[in-house]
Amino acid sequence: MKHGIFVILIAGMVGFAHSAAADPFTEEDLNTSFYPYKGWTPTAEGYTPGMVIDQSNADQFQGILDEGLYRFVKDGWVTVRTAATTDFPLSDDYVAATRQYAGEVALNENGTLNNFVAGRAFPQEPQANDPQAGQKLVWDYQYGFNSGDSETIYPFWWTFRNVKTGKVERQLKFEWHFLNFTHRVTFDPKPAYENNPGEIYRGIYGLVKEPFDLANTQILIHRYQDDTKRDDAWLYVGFQRRVRRLAAGQITDAFLGSDLMIEDFEGYNGRVTDYNWEYAGTRNLLLPFYYHNDMELASVPENDPDGYKFVEVEGQGGCFPKVTYQLRKSFTLVGTPKDPNHPIGKRIINLDSQTMTMASLVTYDRKGDMWKWFPIGKAHSDHHLPVNQGKGVALDDYAVVLDVQANHCTTLQFKSQVTDDVNQPDQFSVQNLRKEGH
Amino acid sequence: MNHKTTRQFTAMPPGLIFLVAMLLLVPSSYAEDAEIRGFVENATFFRDHGVGLTKSKSTLQVELGKAFDSGDFFSEVSVHGIFRGSYDAVYDFNDDTFGENSGRSVSFPAPGNPSFFSFLVDGNPTDPPPFPPSTNPVYAGIFPPPVLTGAIPLPGVPGGNIGAGNPNEGLGLVGEDVHHFEDGSVVLAYPTRPCDFDGRGCIDGYMDDDLNELRFAEFNSRWDFMRELYLDAALPAGGGEFGFRIGRQQIVWGRTDLFRVLDVINPVDFARQNIYDELEDARIPMGIFNLEYRAGAKGPFEDLNFQGIWKFEDFRPNNLGQGGEPYAILGAGNFFRAMKNCWDNGCTVWNFPASGLAVEFPKHSLGIRQANVPEFSDEQDYGFRMEGVVHGVGFSLNYLRYTSQMPSLRGGIDADNPFTPQTESQFFPYALAFDIDFPRLTLVGASADFYVEALKSAFRVEVAHTSGEEFPNTLEERLFSESDVLRWVIGIDRPTFIPFLNKTRAFLLSLQVFGQHLLDHELQNVNAQGVPTLGPVGMVDWKNNYLMTFLFQGNYLNDRLTPQILTAYDFEAGSGTVSPSIDWKIDNNWQLTAAINFKYGDGALGFDDNRAANPYPPFTCAPPIAASGSPLCGIPYSSLGVSGFEPIGRFRAGPIGMAINEDEYQLTLRYRF
Repeated sequence: MKHGIFVILIAGMVGFAHSAAADPFTEEDLNTSFYPYKGWTPTAEGYTPGMVIDQSNADQFQGILDEGLYRFVKDGWVTVRTAATTDFPLSDDYVAATRQYAGEVALNENGTLNNFVAGRAFPQEPQANDPQAGQKLVWDYQYGFNSGDSETIYPFWWTFRNVKTGKVERQLKFEWHFLNFTHRVTFDPKPAYENNPGEIYRGIYGLVKEPFDLANTQILIHRYQDDTKRDDAWLYVGFQRRVRRLAAGQITDAFLGSDLMIEDFEGYNGRVTDYNWEYAGTRNLLLPFYYHNDMELASVPENDPDGYKFVEVEGQGGCFPKVTYQLRKSFTLVGTPKDPNHPIGKRIINLDSQTMTMASLVTYDRKGDMWKWFPIGKAHSDHHLPVNQGKGVALDDYAVVLDVQANHCTTLQFKSQVTDDVNQPDQFSVQNLRKEGH
Repeated sequence: MNHKTTRQFTAMPPGLIFLVAMLLLVPSSYAEDAEIRGFVENATFFRDHGVGLTKSKSTLQVELGKAFDSGDFFSEVSVHGIFRGSYDAVYDFNDDTFGENSGRSVSFPAPGNPSFFSFLVDGNPTDPPPFPPSTNPVYAGIFPPPVLTGAIPLPGVPGGNIGAGNPNEGLGLVGEDVHHFEDGSVVLAYPTRPCDFDGRGCIDGYMDDDLNELRFAEFNSRWDFMRELYLDAALPAGGGEFGFRIGRQQIVWGRTDLFRVLDVINPVDFARQNIYDELEDARIPMGIFNLEYRAGAKGPFEDLNFQGIWKFEDFRPNNLGQGGEPYAILGAGNFFRAMKNCWDNGCTVWNFPASGLAVEFPKHSLGIRQANVPEFSDEQDYGFRMEGVVHGVGFSLNYLRYTSQMPSLRGGIDADNPFTPQTESQFFPYALAFDIDFPRLTLVGASADFYVEALKSAFRVEVAHTSGEEFPNTLEERLFSESDVLRWVIGIDRPTFIPFLNKTRAFLLSLQVFGQHLLDHELQNVNAQGVPTLGPVGMVDWKNNYLMTFLFQGNYLNDRLTPQILTAYDFEAGSGTVSPSIDWKIDNNWQLTAAINFKYGDGALGFDDNRAANPYPPFTCAPPIAASGSPLCGIPYSSLGVSGFEPIGRFRAGPIGMAINEDEYQLTLRYRF
């Protein structure tokens, strides 16, 4: 072992008769996991950073385009501008937590985790011969650093568009907040809030600001540390002036009429144990990773008072981000719902190997036909708002859910801020819904 | 005359004016964030059964919010306001049904009157009746003096007619929109026109709106155009936070739709659209001091909150709609107006003392004398709530001491005996002479919501025990009694995919079952003196009643097209409603809603109408009892159970049954900004 084994967990696993043993990892594993581009650059035959991929050369580069993007380039709906692959390092705190705790983490028989505290649960490279590789990858995403410990997105514009005509049908302005109650690495208290009787892992709070008919609508989701426990969700309905308990099990419904399900948030927003997960290989793919401040930005949907500008839209129906794509190492994860009545047949998820974020997804219906394409543009936090600099988060910056069967898309334009200025546990309470409701 | 203009709302103006000033005048440099939005809307409703236009309301609503620099002491300070003004053109476009030209001269068959009158005059029913030859003896009615009516004037009627102050014009018959008196029940006439065109039957301080107050519902002495205006502030304390919300506001304690169990803090304006308007629009915001302590997560509680409220605005009852309005829940407004007119002016009552007869009552003998609307200084409403989440279950414990927003008809007032020419001004047991009062109530309740994974459904439960409520009771000398009431509701919300209708969007199936139990209910087949009765006597309200509502709602075109079917059914009343509608959000600004509202079922129901009581012995003693020589004829006794739709069968039929003929076609166009 070049760097030696940091933690081997054999002894720690005594007493967990139904648990798999923790996997040891090395410093090399950590470097490969968190700094893959240190001394290595992904390549593809004929590909050079900076080139444009369009209808004319789509077939040549099919192998580095996800299944959805290839189809759209091939159909002439969009051209892909590329840029050099760059490092998107996650926070040193997150890496340090991984180093400290990952050696003790193991999978239970039911697919949940034992002994997880913080950081990346399984920093080891996934192995094709490991039947649990998919399960491990999804946990790396689930307890990833997608929003840091605490993130606010405001304003957050959701625009409903007709793909064929480009007509903007409806536009929602949100305020979203995310707070990890546990598994925290950056903001105090670490690694968890002590006063957490509900054993909540994560709180998600959303408030609709526009349009008027939905204004004041608020949603609160509690995800619990026990992954087998169903989320709890509440909706404050502005026109009813009251909090309404949501049937949280129904997360495959189109959220407020958009092309997203609640289950789609951040890529996948369900319980890990609701799906079977399969690791389907490692690929170099063109993914929307970029420096926000270097992109061609737009002052629409609105002039932000801070001067912040949003990623511009382009292409067929205005459904595509006007950003550059990087060729990046990704793990392909295939998720298959356990519920036979689930509307999705499978999710093909391309996890960016460095950040373990879901950078692009393609979902298929139960007949096996492509249903939705869902790329999530990631912005480097050092090239974004000042508040984000140094935070080590691949920021959610732009996303689109394109329903290829309905020829409809919902574009998401973010102003993400990784901060704990406003995100405190009380904000993620039912009472706060009433407090904010007017 | 107008009680409202003198009462105003004594505790409100200084605070509200201060808040308005803050909202509008504070320099923008202190304002951190300001929001303004609103809408313009026209709602046009047509009613079937020959009624025509019932609503053509154009509304402007503006909502303002402004956050302020909270300084070092408070963590948040903001002011919010909702201002609403509307004009309902129904009073102009359909003024012969609901406005200044509404109503008519009324008459009703009284075929028994000629012979009965002759019998009263000379003891021989076969003699010609003492009617003028020009008068159709088959019909009784109120005719301008000096012509005698076909009704029989009771001895208390001065000069034999009820006077020039109560002409036979601008009238309707109470309940005629629901039934045709086919059961031979009591018939009363009510004035239909706005109170500035016809002041008869208008109840000072309660149901006395003039035409402009009906047309421009928000522009009145209570400043209803200032729908909500309150100051919000938060103060960190003890690991939690004190929250203050002071001003005119809505406070919602309940978790239900359409009907209310715990959601009783604000009165409701049923005159907008009976029970069918959104409660958000129909609640009447009140000036309330609302103090909360938001403790957050404590002990086993994931969230814990304590709330205290004190209502500092003058009492307001529910607006039931006054006589002559398009929406008068239970027809109560028409009934009250008829009874008030009877008290003030005297009136003709058909099918009294028995079907086929008609008599004239003198003033101050029958009817409603006044509404005793509580003053601010009487007693104020206050309440407490503990609310939180434990083990994923949301719960609340509620206590409210408040004044009933529903009226109670209390008999026992001083009145005159219509069978004597004297002015007695005394209490006559079982006499139909009332004041409207609003009793003090105590509510203790609880609620919970939770999710059941196995059923993929969210459940909402509420239960409330109320003491102090008053109900009509024909066994009581004052014709009412108290009963504790237990109300509950179970609501189930289940989003359900129906793939052949929509494969990407679930349908919302929402079922609610309400229960109401009168714990001190009285209903029997002997009267208060032990005489067997012809039918049940006692409390008209059901001892146990159940209501069900069901909502089936879908969404298409990314939620821009929302069809739904809303149904409600009153099990004891045997009446229901079905309301399919479709809502089209044309774009971010424009919204069009089309709806139909159908009713079905039993409609009007009868109940003991007190005709067979003996409030004025021996004059009202039932002939069989009189013939038997029973000493009962010499004392007041309670009703012997002759029943009919009117006047109080309405409380059995409920708001759905009493609206059986209010099938409507509704179109609403809204522009938001």
